[in-house]
Amino acid sequence: MSDERYSATDLAVIQHLFSAIPEEMGAVLGRTAYSSNIKERRDYSCALFNAQGHLLAQAAHIPVHLGAMPRSVEAVLDAFPSLQAGDVVMLNDPFCGGSHLPDVTLVSPLFLKDAANVSGYAATRAHHADVGGMTAGSLPHSTSIYQEGLRIPPVYLMRRAVLEETVMTLFCANSRNPEERKGDLRAQLQAHVLAELRWNALGCRYEAAELDRMGQALLGYGKRKMQAFLKTLPQGSWAHEEFLEAADKDHAFTRIHAVLKNDGEGVEVDFSQSDDAVSGSLNAVQAICESAVYYVILCLLADATAGELIPVNQGTFALIRCKTRSGSVVNAGLPHAVAGGNVETSQRVVDTVLGLFAQVLPDRVPAQSQGTMNNVTMGGRDGAGKSFSYYETMGGGAGAGQGVRGADGIQVHMTNTLNTPVEAFEYSYPLTVCRYALREQSGGEGAFVGGQGVVREWEMNVDTEVTLLTERRALSPAGAAGGGAGKSGCQIRRTQEGKEEKLASKGSWLFKPGDRLRIETPGGGGYGNPEE
Amino acid sequence: MQKSEMRIGVDTGGTFTDVIGLVNGELRSWKLPSTPGQFERAVLEGASEVSKGEAARLIHSSTVATNALLERTGARCALITTEGFRDVLELGRQTRPDLYALCPQKPAPLIPRSRRLEIKERVAADGSILTPLDVEALPGLLDQLRDLEVDAVAVVFLFSFLRPEHEQEVGRFLRDAGFQVSLSHEILPVFREYERCSTTVVNAYVQPEMTRYLDLLEAQAEALQLHGLKIMQSNGGILSPQRAGALAVQTLLSGPAAGLQGALELAKASDRVKALNLITFDMGGTSSDVALIQDAPGLTTEICLESFPIGVPMVDVHTVGAGGGSIASVDSGGALQVGPASASAVPGPACYGAGGPPTVTDAHVVLGNIRPQNFLQGRMTLDVDAAVDALTQLGREMGGLTAVQAAEGVLRLVNLHMENAIRVISVQRGFDPALFTLMGFGGAGGLHVFALAEALQIPQVMVPCHPGVLSALGAAVSSMREELGGTVMQKWDKEKTPAFVAQWVCEYKKALRKRFEFPEALVFQLRLEMRYVGQSHELQVSISPDEIAEVPARFHDEHAQRYGHAERDAEVELVTLRVEAEWPAPVCELPILAPRKPEDLPSELDTGVHLRERIRRGDMIVGPALIVEDFHSMLLPKGWRVEADQVGNLLGSKVEGGIYE
Repeated sequence: MSDERYSATDLAVIQHLFSAIPEEMGAVLGRTAYSSNIKERRDYSCALFNAQGHLLAQAAHIPVHLGAMPRSVEAVLDAFPSLQAGDVVMLNDPFCGGSHLPDVTLVSPLFLKDAANVSGYAATRAHHADVGGMTAGSLPHSTSIYQEGLRIPPVYLMRRAVLEETVMTLFCANSRNPEERKGDLRAQLQAHVLAELRWNALGCRYEAAELDRMGQALLGYGKRKMQAFLKTLPQGSWAHEEFLEAADKDHAFTRIHAVLKNDGEGVEVDFSQSDDAVSGSLNAVQAICESAVYYVILCLLADATAGELIPVNQGTFALIRCKTRSGSVVNAGLPHAVAGGNVETSQRVVDTVLGLFAQVLPDRVPAQSQGTMNNVTMGGRDGAGKSFSYYETMGGGAGAGQGVRGADGIQVHMTNTLNTPVEAFEYSYPLTVCRYALREQSGGEGAFVGGQGVVREWEMNVDTEVTLLTERRALSPAGAAGGGAGKSGCQIRRTQEGKEEKLASKGSWLFKPGDRLRIETPGGGGYGNPEE
Repeated sequence: MQKSEMRIGVDTGGTFTDVIGLVNGELRSWKLPSTPGQFERAVLEGASEVSKGEAARLIHSSTVATNALLERTGARCALITTEGFRDVLELGRQTRPDLYALCPQKPAPLIPRSRRLEIKERVAADGSILTPLDVEALPGLLDQLRDLEVDAVAVVFLFSFLRPEHEQEVGRFLRDAGFQVSLSHEILPVFREYERCSTTVVNAYVQPEMTRYLDLLEAQAEALQLHGLKIMQSNGGILSPQRAGALAVQTLLSGPAAGLQGALELAKASDRVKALNLITFDMGGTSSDVALIQDAPGLTTEICLESFPIGVPMVDVHTVGAGGGSIASVDSGGALQVGPASASAVPGPACYGAGGPPTVTDAHVVLGNIRPQNFLQGRMTLDVDAAVDALTQLGREMGGLTAVQAAEGVLRLVNLHMENAIRVISVQRGFDPALFTLMGFGGAGGLHVFALAEALQIPQVMVPCHPGVLSALGAAVSSMREELGGTVMQKWDKEKTPAFVAQWVCEYKKALRKRFEFPEALVFQLRLEMRYVGQSHELQVSISPDEIAEVPARFHDEHAQRYGHAERDAEVELVTLRVEAEWPAPVCELPILAPRKPEDLPSELDTGVHLRERIRRGDMIVGPALIVEDFHSMLLPKGWRVEADQVGNLLGSKVEGGIYE
């Protein structure tokens, strides 16, 4: 049951032709970027859109960008409905197409040679290591967006192939590492140059109208594939809730609540009954919520169609509706702080959505994974007086599933970033890593045990400001089908004198030379009754 | 010049062992079934068949280390690390291989936690010792290793490549106690502890079996007058069996590296190939390998085998999961899918008549590109009806297409997969494929090579002579190669760095000369890994040791070539420095193919079907045509023609505007 105009072969060919472009953009961006966030940790995504701004293909290296890229293009088209060839628009405004300030997105129109009309768009999004704000790394314990760094609504970075130097200068001046920003933006721009080249190579083989029809066929393909999967699910309505910890000083717990409805035509995930936005930085925007929902459903689709290709396009998501209430913790507005929404709340939204589907497909959905990215930022001045800032997320235990134990020490769900090797880290920063190991006995018990968390311990060689943004320190990752919970995480400061102090899940602390920080990340939940 | 002695190349594959003997312009080849478990039997039998009792030099591309890894039959090993870091091996880089897996799984490490031990010691990033080695713990460690009943031990300490004393001391102690030891600074003296650890552990895992095998092979070969045994490394050079045993991890891509050397040799021998710019395309049953050669095969340090990173320099072969046995199906969204699932040998493609699924091979059978009467020299019967049935069924699922239409769709899609693979190694690295010769080999290479050339606008195609024994040929003609070096990590200073590099080059040269019989004939090459300060990915720069001052400029050029831009004012960092010594192999003449004589049989069997063995030098065949030989057939489409060069390679070009007009 394929499109009338395009055969089964054509569809596969179209999918390959279009998806090859963002894949290659990603290869260029990842290898030429300067930030270790982008290269080592692959915190970036590239995407291709049709002339109407519909997502055709996305090379997602990191799922948290899944729903966010289409929102960026939408915001750019609202701001600049008639972009010209050679224009590139930049943005990071969470309330206008972005997700949190460090994620800087570029969008450029694609024109075929000598054509007057735009025939598509390319977008890149990359996590820049510092865009200003209260603390190095731009993931502060903020209470307002204005503390988090430079907010960029859609603005021209290039006009008619000429760089807007003043915009570049303004942007770089607001970062603690201006040269690195320039290098990273250049790497992003390079990916857009490539997109234009490859788009025109396609243009040599197909006319604009044909390319457009091919794109439409691809969206139809994505939609059919999702439809076929959704049809296998029972109809009905299910509810589930999860809690964020210590999101601000007034709230020990903040509720994320969702209702899943499947009426046979499509699914709706409604977050309206979630708590209000908090005064801390854990607020998310709609795009993050959508990313989390799309991610879970893509996992389920991949599971149901093992070995098949998973198209990531607007058609695939057409039958999925994500509803949020404006002003809630998953759809915050100005002037709320959002730095942590992208990294932590997104994980909790995933747990919430998986909790919904666990009721629909109890045999398929695994126990909870560590459910946090364990964000660690360290900054200060090294022995030579040069400022440094380091950011890392840490893996933990994955949840066990039917027939499989949870993976140990791994990045879960909304992120898949690489660690910074100990030797690369010590070449660059005035700190010593004392220990990097699996956290024994931290996975939940079960017929299939949960994955183990990670222990990492640093010793400071200079005065160092440590900022932690972590979750699952009070509530543990739950087991499933009778399995036990994984151990919650913890962080401990040990002074040179040997005094140990447990640190809060979120906060900033000054460490003296000789002080040590030990972080133990959560284990995954177990699956099935351990007695069986 | 030394008197020319026969050079015998032997390549062991999973199924067949291929042998080539070269002497005074004569080429002898032989193919026999491999003898798994006792691979040396087929190697020696084949080599004797070719040497006919004469004295000869034996060069071998071995699959022993690779098999031990793939089949997990390597040694029972232990790992000793710096205290606090024994789990680095298992943590890897913390990523999951599949982004959308509900229950992500990582491969089990080769050494489980119970056999990973720690010892107190620590070196800092500046090479200073933070914690001295706890020598008093060594006897206890030894007891533990004995209790664990291990055969081999990997030792990986942080920053050991800067300061190897601690590893050396533990190494001496364990070797004295009778263990086979792999020290990380000897195996891969470069930074990034996980990749170094993984490489060292793989070495420890495959080394005992490799050493045992090579000792056996060498002793028996000498008895058969097969002297000077050498082993093919993954970087395209050859090595003594003693060194190849100690550095067994360097032989994991022995066969593919030999294949590229063979391809290069045949291109060199051709009077029709002007520049040694080749893209090789080797299509097998379950996957296809592509690689780019510019005078020599490109090397990479980023290969993962069985998802374990292997950081030693290896030929940069890109593999795509599409081959002759790739299964064709229609997915739940109505799109055709070909591969990565494969029909393997059992049940095999539908045309094997064992109830197999529709595959790429079946598509060729339906379209008449594989003739049942020529398939594997008629040793296997092809079930054409089964292929037609399978494709008819597929056509139905594709929305009412005929078997022929479905077969055309399958080939179009599989060609696209391979076209993309070639783009990855060429266009994506800044190379225009149109400036290369596309070389197709492997079981099904000849059936696709022209379609790929057409799609990539590559004007010249080469289907080599001896396409079935390319690796054996490559082994026979390869040169001895050794290297030294490691991570040095320093910003490039115009004043100081060249002298620093020169000093190391001098030292490494001295050390390398000691490893060769004829040190005066060595050719040295400097291989540097570099990046802009602040980047975390390195680029390789290969340069003669006499051109050290040129290094930064070459790096900028390389960056511009590969990524389209260079920051010529930015600071450059030298990460890793290696010096490679090569002792060039004697030049081997390949036999010359005779021109056509009046009494020669025409190559054409039936209309448009040619037998390759009857093609003579200078013969020209214009497509559409099918050229068949043992294990291989070649589909020459309309608009293309081929001509045989003086050694028997078939060179293809477009009839209109071909480059040989």
